Amino acid sequence: MSEYLLQMKGIDKNFSGVHALDHVDFAVRPGRVMCLAGENGCGKSTLVKIISGVYTKDEGEVYFEDKLVEHITPAEATRLGIQVIYQDLSIFPNLTVMENLAINSEITANRKLVNRKRWEATAKEALSKIGYDIDLNAKMGQLSVADKQLVAICRALLFNAKLIIMDEPTTALTKKEVDALFKTVRQLKDSGIAIMFIGHKIEEIFEIADDVCVMRNGKNVFLGETKGLERKDLIYYMTGREINDDFFVPENISEKPVLEVEHLGLKNKFEDVSFDLRKGEILGITGLLGSGRTELALALFGLEHPSEGTIKINGKEEKITSPIKAQNLKIGYVPEDRLTEGLCMEQPIADNIELASLKRLSKGGILKKKDILADAQKWVDTFKIKTDDARKKANTLSGGNQQKIVLSKWLANDLDILILNGPTVGVDIGAKQDIHHLVHELANEGLAVIIISDDLAEVVVNCSRVVVMKAGKIVGEMTGKDITEDNIREIIM
Amino acid sequence: MKKSTALQRLLKRTEFYIFLVLIALIIVIQAVSGGQLLEPNIVVTILRTMVVDGLFALGCLLVMVSGGFDMSFPAIAALSYSLATTICLNNGWCQTTAWAGFALSIIFGAVLGMLNGVIISNFALNTMLVTLGTQTFFTGLSMGLFELKEITSTLPKGLRALGEWSLFEVQSSAGLSASMTGLFIFLIIAAIATSFVLNKTMFGRALYAIGGNEVSAERAGFNVKKTKFILYTVVGAMAGFTGMIRVCMARQSIPKALVNKEMTIIPAVILGGASIYGGEGSVFGTMTAIGIISLVSNSMLLVGIDTYWEKFFNGLIILIGITISSLQAKRNRR
Repeated sequence: MSEYLLQMKGIDKNFSGVHALDHVDFAVRPGRVMCLAGENGCGKSTLVKIISGVYTKDEGEVYFEDKLVEHITPAEATRLGIQVIYQDLSIFPNLTVMENLAINSEITANRKLVNRKRWEATAKEALSKIGYDIDLNAKMGQLSVADKQLVAICRALLFNAKLIIMDEPTTALTKKEVDALFKTVRQLKDSGIAIMFIGHKIEEIFEIADDVCVMRNGKNVFLGETKGLERKDLIYYMTGREINDDFFVPENISEKPVLEVEHLGLKNKFEDVSFDLRKGEILGITGLLGSGRTELALALFGLEHPSEGTIKINGKEEKITSPIKAQNLKIGYVPEDRLTEGLCMEQPIADNIELASLKRLSKGGILKKKDILADAQKWVDTFKIKTDDARKKANTLSGGNQQKIVLSKWLANDLDILILNGPTVGVDIGAKQDIHHLVHELANEGLAVIIISDDLAEVVVNCSRVVVMKAGKIVGEMTGKDITEDNIREIIM
Repeated sequence: MKKSTALQRLLKRTEFYIFLVLIALIIVIQAVSGGQLLEPNIVVTILRTMVVDGLFALGCLLVMVSGGFDMSFPAIAALSYSLATTICLNNGWCQTTAWAGFALSIIFGAVLGMLNGVIISNFALNTMLVTLGTQTFFTGLSMGLFELKEITSTLPKGLRALGEWSLFEVQSSAGLSASMTGLFIFLIIAAIATSFVLNKTMFGRALYAIGGNEVSAERAGFNVKKTKFILYTVVGAMAGFTGMIRVCMARQSIPKALVNKEMTIIPAVILGGASIYGGEGSVFGTMTAIGIISLVSNSMLLVGIDTYWEKFFNGLIILIGITISSLQAKRNRR
């Protein structure tokens, strides 16, 4: 017996000309957590689908418990003890927890009739595997994501799973739920089950994985233990480039503040909030979920209406009653999901850029393609968006360039203040750095930027000044070298 | 972990509220009509109306549970019974018994349903659009290819006799009599059978699973294609059967009699708790909703509303049904 549960050698896979997997070697040991990491489109899901029998490999050998497996089908994978928990968890939201737990085994046993007692026994057996307790009659669709996940894990365990593959399991979970999931994962690992974790969050890889396999452009660039691996090396393996923490250095901060907030308050959300913002600055507003950071941002954009205090724009007191008013005051707000989801992928780059400026470009309600293209080209040049033609579809661009389009969409309206709420949530590391650089450039060209984020690393790298909020109040402010993760953490809790 | 009680679960079900609506309607109409609604002859008439609608609704329910829409069942029924009665008439069959007509109609229905099944299971197309297409196609066959004619006074005696099958006679206080049709038994049998299939067989669970999440059903190991093929074939056969029941009860075979029937049956099934997104629905809810529809259309004269308003109330019921279904779906899939 070798020490490996699953071994894959020289796996190759082509999809009509696209070389999805280029002679990949891979191995998983029992009782360990293996993380399969890499940026989107690196080939990790293709590899998983070959293991689970959904795709057939073109070349290469697969060994499971030292036996050569010639042809894996989904049924064969199940028989071997391979279970995949997909990102959507493959559950039936309309059925009960009991039915969700038992239905797969009933199908495998080729049953024709339903026996409630047997279903219930199966379901209870499944839950007992990890000592999990939940109402068997509850409808699956009404559970939290974390509970759904545990049900999916229990269901997988019914098949005497030796290898459980989890596809980005932490995406929709809160930090607390992630901790609970990791506890279960460790429990499974201790019982000798191998866990394969697919993901790209660096912190989680170091927290949970014993081994890591990094893929890039269909090749595996690293396979080995997490122990002894440096954070920056892992990032290099994933992105193929050095990611340095390029700290933001403000170059020209205006003398007069462009925004002054004095004793601003919103009932039950935040109170007595005062700060100012100058052109050329990047101000970070950080705090835990529920600290009032998002509500404050919304108040600055007219989506919440403060009950007390004043807001001054360029020294003049203003009431920001609506987003339209905010836009007229040259304030832009990019909500959390906009950087990743704010694009019409099938539409031309130019149309995407001008989506928010159609009013400005139209003459008497009529739009001219020529005007749109000319204006968009200006932004393509300013932001150095890598395309030879702005009429091409947005999905022809790389991730980082797509992010630039979204930013230019908002900036096309000539802003003074840009509020970014969680600008890189769900963005992979390479694109993240591109966005950061872009924001630095914008600030140095005279834009005042506010970054709302609970990603402390992001706040430290990007902000020239940080305001920390806790329970609706500002509990600290720091500038320059004082901005460190430790300093923020000390007062944020 | 807190376990939910049976009562808590009942309160979450659409069926429960629909049933309350039915009871409330009965009480209100009984009061407004001065006690006429619960006269035995009216009750018997309402139950009689439920037979054909109820049978159609059961087939519809099966399809909706699987997440599909069948717009073609009235066309399947009409083509099947028209062909069957024409063949019986031309061959002199069904003079004493009705089984030959039923057998033919069921077979034709199954074949037509099979066509739906082949298209839907093999090409993964939108079921509503496919069955809209086949609906027109079947109607076209009936008129163009077979040139099927109305059969009224010449309807074979065996079919006529089955339509007149009476369980018992009732008389109202005013002396009006009505007979309880024996065909109601078929509705009861079909309802029990459908409920058994949905709840106690893996085929039924497969329909709920497919309606809930087709990709998951496939991954769990259900043969989704085969299940859908069987479903549409069975539903076609049911439509053929129901069509023949209608011929017997109406004592005539009219190729165009069922045009637009789906427009009242589908909303009724939705009103009864089936979800337009699939995965939800029960026989009890469906039967309750059909009860409401029959009650409303039969009692309008009793409460002094002109029957011209029937469409108005039908439309109202459609809107209420769709609204409930959407709200329910929103709550379940937060």
